[in-house]
Amino acid sequence: MSPMLSSTLLFALGIGTTITFASSHWFLAWMGLEINTLAILPLMAQYHHPRAVEATLKYFLTQATAASTLLFATTTNAWLTGQWDIQHMTHPLPATLFTLALALKVGLAPLHIWLPEVLQGLDLGTGLIMSTWQKLAPFALLIQIYPANSTLLIILGLASTLVGGWGGLNQTQLRKILAYSSVAHLGWMVLVLQFSPALTLLTLLMYLIMTFSTFLAFKLTNATNINALATAWTKAPALTALMPLVLLSLGGLPPLSGFMPKWLILQELSKQDLALTATLAALTALLSLYFYLRLSYAMALTMFPNTPTGTPPWRFQSSQVTFPLAISVTATLMLLPLTPTITALLTS
Amino acid sequence: MTYIMCLLLFGLVVGVVAVASNPSPYFAALGLVVVAGLGCGVLVWHGGHYLSLILFLIYLGGMLVVFAYSAALAAEPYPEGWGSGEVVAYIFVYLVGVVAVSGLFWGGWYETSWVPVDELGEMSVLRGDSGGVALMYGGGGGMLVVGAWVLLLTLFVVLELTRGLSRGSLRAV
Repeated sequence: MSPMLSSTLLFALGIGTTITFASSHWFLAWMGLEINTLAILPLMAQYHHPRAVEATLKYFLTQATAASTLLFATTTNAWLTGQWDIQHMTHPLPATLFTLALALKVGLAPLHIWLPEVLQGLDLGTGLIMSTWQKLAPFALLIQIYPANSTLLIILGLASTLVGGWGGLNQTQLRKILAYSSVAHLGWMVLVLQFSPALTLLTLLMYLIMTFSTFLAFKLTNATNINALATAWTKAPALTALMPLVLLSLGGLPPLSGFMPKWLILQELSKQDLALTATLAALTALLSLYFYLRLSYAMALTMFPNTPTGTPPWRFQSSQVTFPLAISVTATLMLLPLTPTITALLTS
Repeated sequence: MTYIMCLLLFGLVVGVVAVASNPSPYFAALGLVVVAGLGCGVLVWHGGHYLSLILFLIYLGGMLVVFAYSAALAAEPYPEGWGSGEVVAYIFVYLVGVVAVSGLFWGGWYETSWVPVDELGEMSVLRGDSGGVALMYGGGGGMLVVGAWVLLLTLFVVLELTRGLSRGSLRAV
């Protein structure tokens, strides 16, 4: 793709999210979301093979459905309450419609079915943009919806953590595994939305950092399935040594940063007298942990049979920039001691 | 003028039946032209003259034209019109449905509910959305600029998606 066009599209991606962040009018927020959807379409279809084009089409159809539901909720809200302000909603019906529309936009269960297929059709770089950047704008809106439908949010949250864990168990393709991991993390974000939006933001930011590291690590070793991970140690030994820790951080184990959101969310849920919900969420996180462990096993805990010429690290140095990966892996592994500071920053 | 509204709404329902009865897309698009045109008439009689003009321009003159071009890419030698068997069956079922449902909403206060409230002596419509339009161009001018920029972006997106003849994303081009 010509550099002028790809820079225009990336600029449009930035503008769309910025417009949604900065808007207090529902219509302007919708426009920002549409800009994001439109701008990523050529990036998704840039390699022109049928799988990518199919993924682009599926993405466009689901996002258009979600955007029209959002527009319908906006006009219903304007009709029932007479105003368009995001932070002054008083009627529960449009609030529920908004939540469902944004759940479809972001890929929460049971509206998650498009996500694995769409991610599978993309290259790892575009998949990274779709998994991280495109989640920011809908969450900026989800955080502001009040009064939120309490039952709906908890159902969306628990269904997502369950489906994200369960669905990822039988996958060997890394992009589908990351899609189900995304669904599970979105479930955790939505579980605590009505009690502490600051914790939702914290979970979103931690998820962004961890997924960024994972996608970039897979991009560096050019791995798209578990078999390819088995020879990753010959291409980047240092990265292969750190990847199990990154994956366990995704799984939410202490003392890695991924434990921070899960810990604080379980604490908040227990404070709200929702012990059963907290237990269910924690148990479903075990399912996700299993497939993260399987990835670590394939990557670093076992040496798969290989030929003598396949094993020594004779590859040329990769031309990919590794600085962002270095920063995000450090953040993925080391941020847990900063929990009080981060919590104070987000709840101020 | 209740009679004009009656004509417009009946024509609209017949047009919708013509679209929903599943003929070939070319005939369905013709039905959509009828529906949109008469719908614009209904809008005018309810005071939304500006909205009606915009609907004509953008929906019929923009989107339906693009749809016609896209349907032409998938042209077939024997398109099914409203004379073919299956389509006639659908038309019959839908018309029966329309009659049945209109039986539910018959008489009483229903009959007078779709008459425009402000009728003038001569055939003129005014006032409906003039204030809203002024507000849209005045206070909402910034959003319109963003909207125009988004349309330009959409142009580039579509050009990039359809570039490359059959080596690109669309094999039919």
